[in-house]
Amino acid sequence: MFHKSELQSGVNLYTRQTTQFKTVSVAIKFTAPLTEENAAARTVLANVLEDSSAHYPTRTKLRQALEELYGAVYYTDTSKRGNEHIFTIYAESVNEEYLRNPEVPVFEQLLTLVTECLFKPNLTDGFFDEATVEREKQTVIDRIGSIYNDKTRFANKRMLELIRSGQPASLSASGTEKAVSAITKESLKTTYDQMLSEDTIDIYILGDVDTDQLTDHAKTLFPFMKEARKSVPVTASTKSEGAITAKHIRERQEMKQGKLNIAFSTPVGFKHPDYPKMQMMNGVLGGFAHSKLFINVREKESLAYYCSSSYASHYGLLYIMSGIDAEQEEKTAALIDQQIEALRNGDISDLEMRQTLALLSNSIRSSFDSAKGQIEIYDQYKLLDENFSSDKLIEKWERVTKEDVQEMAALLTKEITYLLSGREAMDHE
Amino acid sequence: MNKIHFEQLQETLYHQKLENGLNVYVLPKEGFSKTYVTFTTKYGSVDRTFIPRGGKELVTVPDGIAHFLEHKMFEKEEGDVFQQFSENAAAANAFTSFTRTSYLFSSTSELYENTKTLLDFVQQPYFTEKTVEKEKGIIAQEITMYDDQADWRQYFGTIENLFENHPVRIDIAGTVETIQDITAEHLYECYETFYHPSNMVFFAVGNVNPEEMLKFVEQDQLAKSFEAPEPVVRSFPDEPDHVAKKRSELYMDVSKPKLMVGTKCRKTDMSGKDMLIRELASDVTLDILFGRSSDFFTQAYNEGLIDESFSYEFNLENGFGFAAIGSDTDKPEELEKLIKRVLDDMKNNWSITDEQLERIRKKRIGLFMRALNSPEYIANQFTHYNFNEMNLFDVVPVLEGLTTEQLKTAFDDLYYEDGQTIMTIYPMEQSK
Repeated sequence: MFHKSELQSGVNLYTRQTTQFKTVSVAIKFTAPLTEENAAARTVLANVLEDSSAHYPTRTKLRQALEELYGAVYYTDTSKRGNEHIFTIYAESVNEEYLRNPEVPVFEQLLTLVTECLFKPNLTDGFFDEATVEREKQTVIDRIGSIYNDKTRFANKRMLELIRSGQPASLSASGTEKAVSAITKESLKTTYDQMLSEDTIDIYILGDVDTDQLTDHAKTLFPFMKEARKSVPVTASTKSEGAITAKHIRERQEMKQGKLNIAFSTPVGFKHPDYPKMQMMNGVLGGFAHSKLFINVREKESLAYYCSSSYASHYGLLYIMSGIDAEQEEKTAALIDQQIEALRNGDISDLEMRQTLALLSNSIRSSFDSAKGQIEIYDQYKLLDENFSSDKLIEKWERVTKEDVQEMAALLTKEITYLLSGREAMDHE
Repeated sequence: MNKIHFEQLQETLYHQKLENGLNVYVLPKEGFSKTYVTFTTKYGSVDRTFIPRGGKELVTVPDGIAHFLEHKMFEKEEGDVFQQFSENAAAANAFTSFTRTSYLFSSTSELYENTKTLLDFVQQPYFTEKTVEKEKGIIAQEITMYDDQADWRQYFGTIENLFENHPVRIDIAGTVETIQDITAEHLYECYETFYHPSNMVFFAVGNVNPEEMLKFVEQDQLAKSFEAPEPVVRSFPDEPDHVAKKRSELYMDVSKPKLMVGTKCRKTDMSGKDMLIRELASDVTLDILFGRSSDFFTQAYNEGLIDESFSYEFNLENGFGFAAIGSDTDKPEELEKLIKRVLDDMKNNWSITDEQLERIRKKRIGLFMRALNSPEYIANQFTHYNFNEMNLFDVVPVLEGLTTEQLKTAFDDLYYEDGQTIMTIYPMEQSK
């Protein structure tokens, strides 16, 4: 779907000419190993590079320039995938064809603005502006802290910390407050230099543009230093250490609902040949509104508004999340166990298999209906197959049998049952 | 069949009003795999007092009933409708807002099977005391989940402060207590009143052949029998210009205080183009005052009064309107002062320049074009506008014609004496 050209070793350009969208999108992804320090430094850097550039030295000037370009989008973000940390610059502007007399070539100008922000940042005496760095450190610290306010996310984060402490699975893509605090304007410049010279880089351009011409100009647009770049070997652990006794942990905050989360480990990760089978198993168990968890925990027993499972394939984990009355913890946990047992016993209908295949297929096909979806899905699956297409993946799901699903369920090892609930709910027990 | 081509946007909208009063719209989008289909009734949480179809007297139903009804539409004698959608590879969902209830699916195959499922399940109610009772536990958990969400509590707390009588002040899902009073009989009464095709809009967008889809829906509706269309009679209490409460606070288990300034719109008896102009003029004014390129943003961000959670929005429906501006903040008092100062300065010395308007105009046009990439945005926003006699595809021409005078009028009706409220959420440990 994307046309790949290698600009230099470790730097690839992926282009796709399409009239599907009214905008042209560009994404630049820098990949490095995931560590707490790396995540913190690169996230602060992401914020600093989004703030200003040498040409637009204040936030206001940069934002006004984007508004003049018909509300063009420019932002940076960090994320993680297995043991990789990914720094992404994302930009998008309206295709001029849809604008009445634009005075300037909008996408061309946006591309200039983006490359300036990246290659000609706003430096004072060779370093980033101290006040800006300090402010963005605080912003990232606030972001890390804000997860506390979303109890659903917080419960999941706590659960992961309890079973994968200090490992990529529980590390935040923004790092930790401690690692962010340690950053200085000098260390941030080192982070920046390293990112440009050592990271592997994937550039995506998608829209109704002359992709051949862009490819020809790409080396001028993106003048990265020619240094050896090593890709991060993706070896995220899909095993925990030693024999496992499932933990059972309850924690409390001031809140009303109980968040009951259960995590299982599995030896099947993203690159494992059985990956499509595990995706099907997760779908039958709890991915959809026809899944066993939804039907039994919500519809039959009215215990929850949400009860679903997700498969974190890059970490060899599967977790179940539900929001319940904390007093119903045991009943709900037992009912969830029964659903896993049912899968292990092969209690799987043809209908469940058909529905799961249908919705997985619909989901992957639909995700290509947004520019960002095309870039993100391709960027992930290209690790498995550079000629990835949704049809190829769907073919693999089609071949999965009930016996496969049963076998996958047997590979789940329960690691933890975690309940986050209100103080009142538990105190009178 | 009407075919309306929008040259600048390169989009063509197909429309037909059926005999039973249903408005059907189709917008094909080339290159898309999915089709997104919505079936929406002009019935939301604010419609709590009305004359039931066939009745003579106004009745008031329990809070949260529109949302409860939305949940119960999915359950039929033969089982759950989600099962059928899943089998035909469609992801289905529904939502209830202040003024609408929308049922929808998105699929990349079996378009007509899924369309049939959608039309049938929304047009064949099945409620029993037993199924209604069963749902109360599920919705109680949904309400409890929202009770723990500080952003949600703050938003609804702000609206509650702003409005003295209008039912927009009541939570869309009601409360765990109010939903206990809901019966199957209530659901039928609301259903019969608000789910007549003449009170509904069908919208399909994406990978769809417009002629075929229009014909399919028409045939389906011709094969079903409906009573004659009747206008729905709703009743709303009088709402004063001033706010119900100037300030309120709440203590929750959050990491940082949260401040929200709400300001009430005193002119809401609008529809059509006037309403669209008013909505866009208000949006543009807020962008100029509080957007990321504003002096306010630079100052507030540099002084640590706001963080990434800062946001602002404007909402307008016939009967109520408001703006909400808020952020997580360690300095709620200072942030409140700065927001008020920006608003006061503008009130005392109106100073929006043509240059500012031009820039934000461009930004808004681009934003709209970008939104047209999204079938979800098109269907939901079109329906919202349609219920207020506005046309989504007028957005660009109206933006192009917007004047600073229109901005000033919009601002004057949004910022006036006694029209503001403050809602603050403090972390627990600060509670006394």
